[in-house]
Amino acid sequence: MYNVWENVLAEIEQKVSPANFSTWFKDTTLLSASDDHVIIGVKNSFFVKQLRSKFLDLITDALKKNGIEFTTIDFEVSSTSKPKVRSREVTTTDSSLGDRIKPLKKSLDTKSISNGLNSKYTLDSFVIGSNNDLAVSAAKSIIDTPGTRYNPFFLYGGPGLGKTHLVQAIGNELLRRDPSLKILYTPISHFYSDFIDAIQNGKGKEFNRKFEKLDCLIIDDFQFIVGKEKSQEEFFNIFNDLYQLNKQIIVTSDRLPSQIKTVDERLASRLTMGGAFDLQLPKFEDKCAILRAKAELMGADIEPEAIEYIAENVNTNIRDLEGEFSTILLMSEVRGLTPLELIQNGSASISRSNKLRPISGKQVVEKVAKYYNLPVKEMCGKSRVANIKTARQVAMFILSKELSMSTTKIATEVGVKDHTTVMHGIKKIESDLKLNFSLRDQIEEIKEHIYG
Amino acid sequence: MEIEVTQNKLSKALNNVSRIAVGKVTLPVLNNVLIRVDNNKVSLVTTNLDMAIVDYLPVSSSKDGVITVPAKLLTDFVGNLPRGEKIKITSKNDKVTITADKYTSTINSSPADDFPELPEINEDKAVIFKMGIDEFKNGISSVAIASSSDLTRPALTGVFFTTSDKNLYIAATDGYRLAERRLISGVESEVSVIVPTSSLQEVLRAINEEMDEIEVSFNEDLVRFRLGEVEIISKLIDASFPDYARLIPKDNNISFTVNREELIRDTKLAALFARGVAGSITIETKKPNIVSVKSVATELGENVSTIETEVSDDCKFTVNSRFFLDALNSLDEPDIVIALSSKTTPAVLRNQKNQDYTHIVMPLSR
Repeated sequence: MYNVWENVLAEIEQKVSPANFSTWFKDTTLLSASDDHVIIGVKNSFFVKQLRSKFLDLITDALKKNGIEFTTIDFEVSSTSKPKVRSREVTTTDSSLGDRIKPLKKSLDTKSISNGLNSKYTLDSFVIGSNNDLAVSAAKSIIDTPGTRYNPFFLYGGPGLGKTHLVQAIGNELLRRDPSLKILYTPISHFYSDFIDAIQNGKGKEFNRKFEKLDCLIIDDFQFIVGKEKSQEEFFNIFNDLYQLNKQIIVTSDRLPSQIKTVDERLASRLTMGGAFDLQLPKFEDKCAILRAKAELMGADIEPEAIEYIAENVNTNIRDLEGEFSTILLMSEVRGLTPLELIQNGSASISRSNKLRPISGKQVVEKVAKYYNLPVKEMCGKSRVANIKTARQVAMFILSKELSMSTTKIATEVGVKDHTTVMHGIKKIESDLKLNFSLRDQIEEIKEHIYG
Repeated sequence: MEIEVTQNKLSKALNNVSRIAVGKVTLPVLNNVLIRVDNNKVSLVTTNLDMAIVDYLPVSSSKDGVITVPAKLLTDFVGNLPRGEKIKITSKNDKVTITADKYTSTINSSPADDFPELPEINEDKAVIFKMGIDEFKNGISSVAIASSSDLTRPALTGVFFTTSDKNLYIAATDGYRLAERRLISGVESEVSVIVPTSSLQEVLRAINEEMDEIEVSFNEDLVRFRLGEVEIISKLIDASFPDYARLIPKDNNISFTVNREELIRDTKLAALFARGVAGSITIETKKPNIVSVKSVATELGENVSTIETEVSDDCKFTVNSRFFLDALNSLDEPDIVIALSSKTTPAVLRNQKNQDYTHIVMPLSR
């Protein structure tokens, strides 16, 4: 549904001035299109009036061209059409202003009824590959026998690798098998803001009660607990209560609990006692599989070569992979070329962040030295002082990964004796990266400096 | 199109509408003012797509038509003409000519078709309140001061209009202080909406001495203010306002009455020394009759002022001096009542006689 609207917008964009397009259409969404009735979400009433009076024909035409048949069209002010703060994929609490004018004070309970699960996440649509097969098989075992072997189930990995998808899928599948189960999915940020509200309103007890009857609790993005000591304590208590009753607990985070600052050791060790599973970056074959599944889901036609091209060139995460994929599909529809033709004639090169302008080895060395506040000479010397050595190894690592230099050449760039030292250095950083998150951030920042 | 009008009337109307027509780069026509003449009714319109201002201009003679011209240019030009001058505006093709006795200027206009149409209030479904302009002005300005400018928390960037027990209340908070006022009583309809503070400020600016009543109409996601010849339409903020009533402490055990002017002076004095410590000042009460306002700045020195008034218990309370001053200035009676308790609950400030207005300030934890 969402993609159809993108096409409609692309169509409209060609027909109105850029100023008009960015003012009136940019923040619109297609809220629903069914039973001959189309609802379009806009920012506020000013937009409703304008779209209706000036652009109605245009929208109607564009919708019909994209195969949406309807008899009536409506515009609705929707808060979701404009993300106010960067929102993650959280359940949208639908609040249209219309129902706030008369009925007062009905907003209190609505939240507790919803279980936070989004039915679009299913296990079937989760593509299994070598990067996640362990986690998925654990997830399946949880669905068969919740609260036993993998309890708590701790899932970690970088952004956009499918953590939310997997845990939501577990929740949905559990619910499908036994609709009487009480399941709650909540990002930790909601957990602590609800907790704070409850405390302020003197309802701490009630807050606790909400959790103690659950059969399965799913907490997303646990790393944001940092600095929320009271909430952590509350979570610890809820955790213990549920655990003792053999209720399934599922927690996701972008790193291991022991690496999250200020997480209590007792809690950290408890969270991982059922095993910690990680989602890794997909390999080339996995990426192809993901894209093929996505293509099938969207009913899109795309050549295997095009899939391979995208898979080869997007190296960040699955979200970006799918984003790139959708862009190419959209472009192919707009221009009337097949995805492969687009790629071959160069109009769809995925170059923005992945294959960047050429840089020299010397530049990299200088940037790294500058980042660590070291003179180039000192960094490229023989010093064994820990921080200088690390800087040197980071430089080696970046030279090897970003410029694909040979180890011998790197050795001359950073002034070390021979290529074995370089090999060791790169390996050291690679293994450190798995555990050391500040190092990961540092390298990302350096890369930004280099390319920026 | 053609209108004839005196300089002061036109200048006032342009000043009313032109403030929101600046700095829109995405859609240049939004920097323009729309002048519409329809059957001798002349209206000037501007909008920034969050709100719109319409001013109905009394003119001596006119011919029908619609034009749009850059608002700032026209406002500045008319503003600089001698007062009382008779001005004539005529349009031909895409040129607008403004002539006064010895002055003529021609401005390129853009087609009025590009100017957005304004949303309208559905009169049948609207909830309408009428009140005196002074009540409105005092009410809004004393409450809006507590609203936030933090755009990441949209609910706090506006003033909350809510009804309860047939009273219309307005409230605003930025998380550090909260102001609430009972605006009118004996209302029949119910509302619970947040009006952007920025829109309310435009309404306040449009108020002049000749006006005596304001009409406020709420409708789904719009609010319209009608005052004199000005009409302001604004979107409402689509968010839910915190259940603020719970923030007002009920059982503060220490309360004392003080002269407002005296406390303002003491607070200003203390604030001078409090610059280095983020403006924090300490209010201390001592049985049976001492209230002191203190501030300490290690590098500058320190300051203490005392007021004699009856207090029931000892306590120490640290607040941000700016917020405290705002609160004192929002009250209006000579004597006010301040209620405190331990350090952790907010201070409550009210006028001694009229209890309609409540301002609370959170303590700083120091």
